Amino acid sequence: MQAMRRRIVLAGAMSPVLLASGRIAAQASGYYKDKIVTVNVAGSAAGGHNFYARMLQPHLEKHLGARELRVVNMPGGGGLKAANYIWRAKPDGSQIYFGNVSTLILAHLAGSPGATFDPTKFNYLGRVTSEARVLCVGGKSEIRSIEDVMKLKRPFVYPSQGTDEDFYTMAVLGDALGFKVKAVTGYEGNADTALAVIKGDADGHITGWTESRAAIRNGDKMPILMVTSLKSPDYPNIPLAPAIAPAAKRATVQAMADILETHRSYIGPPGMDANAVAAFRAAVTAMLNDPALLKETKAKERPIAPMDGARQQKVIAEISRESANLAPILKAAVKAIQ
Amino acid sequence: MLDAIAAGLLALLTPQALLFMLIGVVYGLVIGILPGLGGVVAMALLLPFTYGFETEATLALLLGAHIATIWGDSVTSILFSVPGSAKGLALCFDGYPMTKQGQATRALAASATGALMGGVIGAVFLAICIPLIRPVILALGPSEYLMMALWGLTVIATFSEGSLVKGLIASVLGVLVAFVGMDVVTATPRFTFGSEFLMDGISFPVAMIGLFAVSEMMKLAVRGTPIVDRALMQETSTVWQGIKDALGHWWLVVRSSVLGLWIGVLPGVGASVAGLAAYAQAVQTSRTPERFGKGAVEGVIAPDATMGSNEGGGLMPTLAFGIPGGESMAILLVAFIGLGVVPGPEMLTKNLGLVFSMVWIIVLANVLVTLIGLGITPWLARLPSLHANLMVPLVLCVCLVGAYATRGRIEDVVVAAIFGIAGYLMDAYRYSRANFVIGMVLATMIERNLHISLSLHGNGFLMQRPIALALLVLVVLTAASPFIRNWRKRKRLAARGAST
Repeated sequence: MQAMRRRIVLAGAMSPVLLASGRIAAQASGYYKDKIVTVNVAGSAAGGHNFYARMLQPHLEKHLGARELRVVNMPGGGGLKAANYIWRAKPDGSQIYFGNVSTLILAHLAGSPGATFDPTKFNYLGRVTSEARVLCVGGKSEIRSIEDVMKLKRPFVYPSQGTDEDFYTMAVLGDALGFKVKAVTGYEGNADTALAVIKGDADGHITGWTESRAAIRNGDKMPILMVTSLKSPDYPNIPLAPAIAPAAKRATVQAMADILETHRSYIGPPGMDANAVAAFRAAVTAMLNDPALLKETKAKERPIAPMDGARQQKVIAEISRESANLAPILKAAVKAIQ
Repeated sequence: MLDAIAAGLLALLTPQALLFMLIGVVYGLVIGILPGLGGVVAMALLLPFTYGFETEATLALLLGAHIATIWGDSVTSILFSVPGSAKGLALCFDGYPMTKQGQATRALAASATGALMGGVIGAVFLAICIPLIRPVILALGPSEYLMMALWGLTVIATFSEGSLVKGLIASVLGVLVAFVGMDVVTATPRFTFGSEFLMDGISFPVAMIGLFAVSEMMKLAVRGTPIVDRALMQETSTVWQGIKDALGHWWLVVRSSVLGLWIGVLPGVGASVAGLAAYAQAVQTSRTPERFGKGAVEGVIAPDATMGSNEGGGLMPTLAFGIPGGESMAILLVAFIGLGVVPGPEMLTKNLGLVFSMVWIIVLANVLVTLIGLGITPWLARLPSLHANLMVPLVLCVCLVGAYATRGRIEDVVVAAIFGIAGYLMDAYRYSRANFVIGMVLATMIERNLHISLSLHGNGFLMQRPIALALLVLVVLTAASPFIRNWRKRKRLAARGAST
């Protein structure tokens, strides 16, 4: 697992090296020349996936050399609908998924009835971002640290909008760090759960770092744990979940962190034409190294964390193999709310 | 504070900001009129074009478009019983009957004036409430949302004229349809029969397009006459009548506007609920509730005023916490980030000028929408007199395209057609379509918030939430008031009978 983590980190670091030849390879193959490609965004018009997909759209179209690249929103089932659609799509490379990979792996592991796919069989075409997930409590909460959570004499009240990746992460943290979690489902979205935490109706919730950034700066929320492998340079004092987990549970928490780091990616259907896979991966790699895009992401405060598609494919296979021990925890969490 | 108010206005008085507002408003009116498309789509489509412009101009474009969709939605609800989006639904109940009675001009003018007054009241309240925003938001929670939904249920009786049993059956059917999809509490599929399409539930706007628009067009096709036959029913009303109606019902407008603000402040409570709650409030507080559903102008003014002020309310959590009150506010938040504006308490101190610019945008955009609206009303009011042979295919095409556009799924076109047939039969056998929709809108809201309230505070949650308890008392009183009024009336009549 340690070796795999190093590989994931290395993959990110090595990406710029792989990027240089990307655009030339994609366009040289000419696979997408005069073709129309549809990127199916696993989220609504108001979500982060949509923002990224539309920001990247003209750049990807240019690097693919396609006649047109369409971005279509396919919200539903927390991304499962778009994934199910791509699972059954014609494997000619014209239909692509863009969204969260961790949701797909976790839904599969938990045996979600909405997941009709095997995530290892998709063609991974490149990661765009990887955002650290952070456990925050309310700014005025009596809980001031993860140690306080572990010492609680009652369950930690966790507001949830359903069985998303944060719901599963909380279940894994509770299991690994030895505290009880009371998941209160029925909330409508992150805005709803954030207010529950700020008001003190609930103890804390997990979100992407950027989603909680404003509330943390304002003092409305306090971060107490990050579920990731690397410390944030801005917040070096926030502990990392894999580091504080007891030895017997460390591998489980690490597997969870690895899954979360797979984050926002392009995915093709199983059995996708090998030439299409190669051309798309090369185009994504080249796009994410394009100075014009890098300038835009900086101006819009939308960071990217590229991982080459071929590398990502291997990492996903490895994660899926090593995450088998997560399945019983995830299934128990789902059972607890039913 | 006065400096910030003046600075907020001055920042808007640039050629770019004014031009952007005009573009936003005209574009929003067009999007609003198209069924299935509303403020969220309008803003999402504009967002990519907003980078690199003045902050105030960008906000004028986005907010202007969003505000204009409100009245755009109302237009088709009033003229053809085709709700432009979920929030326009309540306008079908009395707006469409007014059109059929040759009162379309009056209804449109009353709706535009009501939306303007609501928008201005909402903006003024937003400005006044800026220091109170945070405590107000923190005081409200799922238990209070639950009471709001229960209040909406009380309107069922209004639409159950003739047979309360039929009214309740229609509501229960609506509840059952709302339960199709993923269970919001247990996250398991419910009534989906293994269908992936049904896992996302029946889209509310699509169901409405079917129930109201498609079924009305079926009726027209069967009858073979226009919605309004000018040979039999002349358009007798005027724009000025509508304006006077809205001004004359100023107290209803104020009440509806405060309600809209309140609902806007609650994240997750949609504008469709706002329209229905406003309608419920108008019915419950009317001295002649029996006129509603048959062309009462109050039934047009109240929902529009509520939706106009809802905008100001929706901005509150977005500004105070950086937490979007709804999907459209989430898009605004993305625009804020692009513009380098950080929402949160700093907005109310360092960026107060910008907050007041937004207040001014709401006011000016509302004025612009109303001016354009009142100007085009006499021409719009002529549309319902088009012959059925022209009207039916035209409206059906727009409706079915709208059903598809809602989620980009062809299955939704089939759903609209099925609901169209259901709506036609319900109307023929006098099962209220309005009750069906009320059941559909409020079912998940009640389920969701009841579950959260019970989980967080236990069975006695009302004892721990005094505001919710006070709201429950209000719900009981408003629900009981028609019965008390009738009882008093009977008693009075009996006393008079005895004395003579």
